[in-house]
Amino acid sequence: MANIIKNPRNGCALHGALQTVQEIQGVVPVVHANASCGVINYLANSKTSGGNPRFSGYSTPGTAAQERHVIFGGASRLREQIKNTVKVVDGSLYIILNSCESAMVGDDVDAMTREIVEQGEPVVDTLIAGFNGSAYYGYEHVLADIFKSVYELKKNEGEKNPRLVNIFGIIPQKDPYWQGNLEEITRILNGVGLETNIFFGADGGTEDIENARNAALSITFGRWGELPAKVLNEKFEIPVIQRAALPINADDERALIEGIEEYITIDQETKEHFLEKEQKYELNYWSRVRDEIIENDLGRTVAIVGEEEHVIRLGKLVQEVFGAEVVAAVLTDALKKDEEHTLDNGEVLNSIAKNIYKTSDQKDINDIIRQSKAELVIGSSLEQHVADKHGIPLVEASYPVYHKTILNHSSIGVRGIVGVIAEYITAVKQADKEKEEKLQNKLKEFKGQNVWQEHSYKKSHNVKQVGLVSQGAVRESI
Amino acid sequence: MAEKIGKHIAIYGKGGIGKSTTTSNISAALAEAGYRVIQIGCDPKSDSTNTLRGNNYLPTVLDSLREGNKIHLDDISVKGFGGVLCIESGGPVPGVGCAGRGINAAVNLLQELNLFEEFKPDYVLYDVLGDVVCGGFAVPIRDGITDRAYVVSSSDFMALYAANNLFKAINKYAPTGGAKLGGVIANSMKPGYHREIVEDFVEKTGTSIAGYVNRSIDVQQSELYGKTVIEAKPNSAQADIYRNLAKYIAENENLVVPNPLGSAELRDWARNWGDRIYDIESGVVGVAEAI
Ligand SMILES: Nc1ncnc2c1ncn2[C@@H]1O[C@H](COP(=O)(O)OP(=O)(O)O)[C@@H](O)[C@H]1O
Ligand code: SF4
Ligand SMILES: [Mg+2]
Repeated sequence: MANIIKNPRNGCALHGALQTVQEIQGVVPVVHANASCGVINYLANSKTSGGNPRFSGYSTPGTAAQERHVIFGGASRLREQIKNTVKVVDGSLYIILNSCESAMVGDDVDAMTREIVEQGEPVVDTLIAGFNGSAYYGYEHVLADIFKSVYELKKNEGEKNPRLVNIFGIIPQKDPYWQGNLEEITRILNGVGLETNIFFGADGGTEDIENARNAALSITFGRWGELPAKVLNEKFEIPVIQRAALPINADDERALIEGIEEYITIDQETKEHFLEKEQKYELNYWSRVRDEIIENDLGRTVAIVGEEEHVIRLGKLVQEVFGAEVVAAVLTDALKKDEEHTLDNGEVLNSIAKNIYKTSDQKDINDIIRQSKAELVIGSSLEQHVADKHGIPLVEASYPVYHKTILNHSSIGVRGIVGVIAEYITAVKQADKEKEEKLQNKLKEFKGQNVWQEHSYKKSHNVKQVGLVSQGAVRESI
Repeated sequence: MAEKIGKHIAIYGKGGIGKSTTTSNISAALAEAGYRVIQIGCDPKSDSTNTLRGNNYLPTVLDSLREGNKIHLDDISVKGFGGVLCIESGGPVPGVGCAGRGINAAVNLLQELNLFEEFKPDYVLYDVLGDVVCGGFAVPIRDGITDRAYVVSSSDFMALYAANNLFKAINKYAPTGGAKLGGVIANSMKPGYHREIVEDFVEKTGTSIAGYVNRSIDVQQSELYGKTVIEAKPNSAQADIYRNLAKYIAENENLVVPNPLGSAELRDWARNWGDRIYDIESGVVGVAEAI
């Protein structure tokens, strides 16, 4: 029988495709769907705090198909919409996105696209319907579809750039820190004389799409991105390297750069000089917090909820920096459509977490967190409720994040990771403080205030011992 | 849902098997007997009621829906022979859109227009394209729109295959208030083993035969005049066949949930008959012995 999935955090393939192309400057999306497939995506994402791109929400061109278009076909409605869009909105690339509705009816979107392309407009269509998979599937497939057809439109080949690297796997809007992370990965590769094609955000755009064919290498971080990299490999023989996760420290950065060196020659002096500076930066901040780590006993048991790449990256971070133990890891991006991926991170995951689960059902996730007895959760805002209920701190780091604005902040590289370290410490300190305040308030309600004041200076870790010397009733209330 | 006005009967069957011919003659026979009848063609071909209305033009429900204007019952219905109210759901251009959803939308619209409250029919016949190709075409037997379905079939394997598919759909929906089966209308019956094949099929599936309709030149001739047999040749033996069938269907309350054959079962059953027919045709055995 059918199961209810509570709060599934991954939108459909159309949503993934839409949020991907929305973040490529110069692209105008045209959504061929019943009214609201695009709006649902907007409503979900506009609550998160990464800002909104130009063509989002109600300003996204779309066909808003009605029952009439289901029965008689919606192709002519689409034709009308593309023609009007091209007239009204300037763009260097128009991308047609499909929904379940148009796929089920079997609208000949291809023919409509060809018609407009013959009139000289830069239009590509994608064959992704919402039901094909999750937003991750949409991200991969929309890029793959674009690379498959865009070079027929943009005849200008340009020149091979032996220092250019395509970056895949940092998913717009799905990674709450995507903007900052793209900037940080660019900073690192620039540091050793490389250039990046990041496609999305302030420094991306349709030129990156056009230039992707001239890159010397594609790198995929995490499991998502394999498909577009493969298309570029097949079409233009651009080699691909796959990394389980984005870098968190100078060692990771070295490993990344040395991986790249198998394909691109990097000046050794530049490299060593850069990595030395990275090391220094890392050491500076990591050692600054060592007293806090000991004083606050930060090596706690942790549950991590998020996509596989997040789990690997953040799990490794809390192990290395705080000596924490990851008692449960929940992979929220493990859906059935990932069969076609060759990257297998099983071993890495096992080295990071004691128990690994694959689900995006909030009910399961809450149960897992509860049963893990974790003292801290790294996850999304959807884990707030369960964290509050069990009085444990939450570090919001995976999609969706509602309670903080994240613009160009990064959560990777030696610079970005410092912010994550600070958040972890803040979350623990805050929670410990709240716990202590709560305890004090409770105690004030009872007689014998003097006794309790004396104890209140003690750390919240000692709370249970404080309780032991109290009357039975007080102990229970704690 | 409010108390249903009239008996609602769906007639299924594979394309070209004689659904529209049979349904129209049943409607005509019921009208002749003094009943108020509506016939709704649920087939994108929209030729269900041709012989009831002398081939005159009738805009389909979906044509009107496509124009998007306010629709009145008068625009999409016309009275044919004996006052039978003729309606065609219509459908998209072949190859585009979704005809199944079209049937669904047309039936919904007719309910919104209070068709049954206005016309107060004794019988409503739905002539539905037959292989139950998707959920849309199963609409008349779901949701309590009709409570009984008949299937027109010959002894051809593909016709029985379509009947078996309908049985599957009935089997699926009947437990939740969908229609049950009234029986199989054996059409285009020629002398020989044809009857035995259909009879064997109904026995295997726990169903029954509602009536036998011969293959007759009267049918084709009447069709060419744009009339039913009841109208064009009221005194013919064929007209009586349709009258008897209409009476049976009007009165029959023996409704069943069929036991459709599985794919392999159906294949084996057909192969078995293939061997027997070969023996009969080549004169090895007579019909009675072969069975
Ligand atoms: N019993 C019959 N005898 C002779 N011809 C028949 C008979 N039943 C149907 N036909 C002919 O078969 C053709 C298809 O019938 P029709 O009722 O239009 O099929 P359907 O509605 O199932 O597609 C028509 O030309 C019709 O005259
Ligand atoms: S799953 Fe299909 S219908 Fe639902 S929002 Fe996505 S494209 Fe639209
Ligand atoms: Mg017909």
